[in-house]
Amino acid sequence: MMVNSFSQFESPVFLTIPLILLALILPWAFYPSPSPRWLSNRTLTLQNWFIGRFAKQLLASSTPKVHLWATLLVSLMLYIISLNLLGMLPYTFTPTTQLSMNMGLAVPLWLATVLVGFRNQPTLSLAHLLPEGTPTLLVPVLIIIETISLLIRPFALGVRLTANLTAGHLLIQLIATATLAFMSIMPAIATLTSILLLLLTLLEIAVAMIQAYVFVLLLSLYLQENS
Amino acid sequence: MLSRVVFVSGMRSRGPYMLGTGLILYMLSKEIYVINHETIAALTIGAIAVYGIKKFGPDVAAFADKLNEEKVAQFQEVKDHAMSSLVQAIENEKKEQWRVDGRSMLFDAKRNNVAMMLETNYRERLHMVTNEVKRRLDYQIALQNLHRRMELEHMVNWVEKSVISSISPQQEKESIAKCITDLKALAKTTQAKATA
Repeated sequence: MMVNSFSQFESPVFLTIPLILLALILPWAFYPSPSPRWLSNRTLTLQNWFIGRFAKQLLASSTPKVHLWATLLVSLMLYIISLNLLGMLPYTFTPTTQLSMNMGLAVPLWLATVLVGFRNQPTLSLAHLLPEGTPTLLVPVLIIIETISLLIRPFALGVRLTANLTAGHLLIQLIATATLAFMSIMPAIATLTSILLLLLTLLEIAVAMIQAYVFVLLLSLYLQENS
Repeated sequence: MLSRVVFVSGMRSRGPYMLGTGLILYMLSKEIYVINHETIAALTIGAIAVYGIKKFGPDVAAFADKLNEEKVAQFQEVKDHAMSSLVQAIENEKKEQWRVDGRSMLFDAKRNNVAMMLETNYRERLHMVTNEVKRRLDYQIALQNLHRRMELEHMVNWVEKSVISSISPQQEKESIAKCITDLKALAKTTQAKATA
């Protein structure tokens, strides 16, 4: 029952039992279990190929110290992409539409990259606050600006993911409602809006995958900067 | 399970499809399932999913199979390479054995060569020795010939000298006069023979 447009983003509860944990764990059920065989079935082969390609592309141009984060980044990517794509199905709950969840992913990981940088090479990490080749007059201003941009990164990461997915789901809901409303009045306009919905859904699937990739990519970039 | 009921029975029975249609119509008519915006969204997603799977499914499956094939082919290549190198090693070993068999023939040939060289060397030295001995003997012969000739010459000279010294001047005049009368008589006889 729709109270307002945002009611689809409420945390799911069934008979006062919160189902958020189930929604968070659900992607695990859709991944093939690793098999002890040398040649595995198609799903597992494709998964392994994808993970290999992704990890190589993400971490190709980085030092071996950054490679220690490979497991974390790849599993993060798989988790977010599966949450997003499963949320495309009807009547599903997408946890990544909740700002709390995304901030919970973004802040600790960003903080980890910053702290790793400050612990291992404090001078270099501080030096990142001032880009090379700035005129002497601009130095104080630029340091303040760079610090602000450093501190705003976790918020940017979290809010980017939340906003993209929420906006997408909202648009799908609104246009589907419009199509449903027009179907009884003017079926021609309903056809138009259904075509729009088709294109939008395609876009949303792409956005779901891209946003996951962007999240992980930015984290890896922050890591490379600081390592 | 349901598909086994449908297909193993040998003919496509219409039971499951009737059940599905009936359930859907029941839920719709009794408004257990209400058509809302999610239905439209579900139809859209369903259409996209069906289209995607129908279009890209076989390609993705072929790609996954190709990945596995490449894996197998890699190891197969390693295995084949190992086998071929082992076969090559066996052939090389056999060739070495054949070479070893032929070694005795090689030794015989070498032994013959060495014997021939020794023989040649011996003959050369023998020849040289013969030549040297002949030269020494020739020298001795020449020396002896020289001695004899010198003795002969000396004797002849001595005899001549003694004969010449033994001739007195009187005897010399007499012999010369005799020679002249002999010569005249001879000239007369030849002249007479010539005119006759």
